[in-house]
Amino acid sequence: MCDTCGCEHTKEIKTVEINQNLLKANEDAASHNREHFDSNGIFTLNLISSPGSGKTTLLEKTAEALKDEFSLGVLEGDIETDLDAERIRKKGVPAVQLTTGGACHLDSALIHKGMHELEHQLNGKKMDLLFIENVGNLVCPSFFNLGEHIRVVLVSVPEGPDKPIKYPKAFKTSHVFIITKSDLLPYFDFDIEKVKKDALSLNPELKIFVISATTGDGMGEWFDFLRNNLK
Amino acid sequence: MRVHEVSIALGMVDELARIANENNAKYIIAVNLRIGRSSGIVIDSLKFAFDAIKLENPLISSAEILIEEVPLKYECNECNESFQIESIHFPACPHCKSYSLKLLSGDEMDILNVELEV
Repeated sequence: MCDTCGCEHTKEIKTVEINQNLLKANEDAASHNREHFDSNGIFTLNLISSPGSGKTTLLEKTAEALKDEFSLGVLEGDIETDLDAERIRKKGVPAVQLTTGGACHLDSALIHKGMHELEHQLNGKKMDLLFIENVGNLVCPSFFNLGEHIRVVLVSVPEGPDKPIKYPKAFKTSHVFIITKSDLLPYFDFDIEKVKKDALSLNPELKIFVISATTGDGMGEWFDFLRNNLK
Repeated sequence: MRVHEVSIALGMVDELARIANENNAKYIIAVNLRIGRSSGIVIDSLKFAFDAIKLENPLISSAEILIEEVPLKYECNECNESFQIESIHFPACPHCKSYSLKLLSGDEMDILNVELEV
């Protein structure tokens, strides 16, 4: 008998066991992306940082240096505007702008869509190296696997030395840590050895680069790192 | 701004709708989650987002979100002691001060089960 009105209808309650990760849908889409990257020989990097750390500038310089050696592509994530993709296209590299329309991170479904648009632009030409520039944010992007081979976290000198300890997940889930705008070190209280030590205690496997896109310091090591991964 | 908790809540609502349809449910009564202390999910934000988004689907609109918070526990690789801590930053073994630790629990973000009326 029903306990609400006393009618003959009986409530039938069923428990369905799920036991799966809350991000399973994204993880499944990430696996699909990864298979696509692997079967097409595309080495993929996902760049994560706060707004203004120099992700797009790093990509502009990387495009200038490597576009004659390798076929590059860029997926640009932003909440609004086509500005970053336009900066990359000016360097002669195909780029697709992914506007998230409010989300502060990219997810694997968006990357899938962007990949097809990028391949359309490449018109049958093979891609060797794909950069995904995530939305400027050090928190949410670290939750979303995009199927990338290498995750890169960037911090610029003016942002201050406390970023690794304040945003541990971005550092724990990355493979490479780039400290940018090193030409500004004389003007900021940024203890570079302490920052490196903090980052490494969160993630001992991190490979660290210290670069300045303005002076070119450290850029050669970064380019060689990419070349070595493309051999 | 759509933070990661909102994306997660949107994904949950899709998944719950799929489960409800698969089981010919009249509606969903409750969903049980397990969220670790260091998962990076803010439980209040996730509840807030879920309770707002669920209203769009009558199968889910009365579903209660129940969350078990899992404490952060480590085992020390040096002295093999296990311990629980509150801070998620730079844990060191309280017994021997080593930073070489193995995570035992605290990074969970799982849907455990769903209660439905069929």
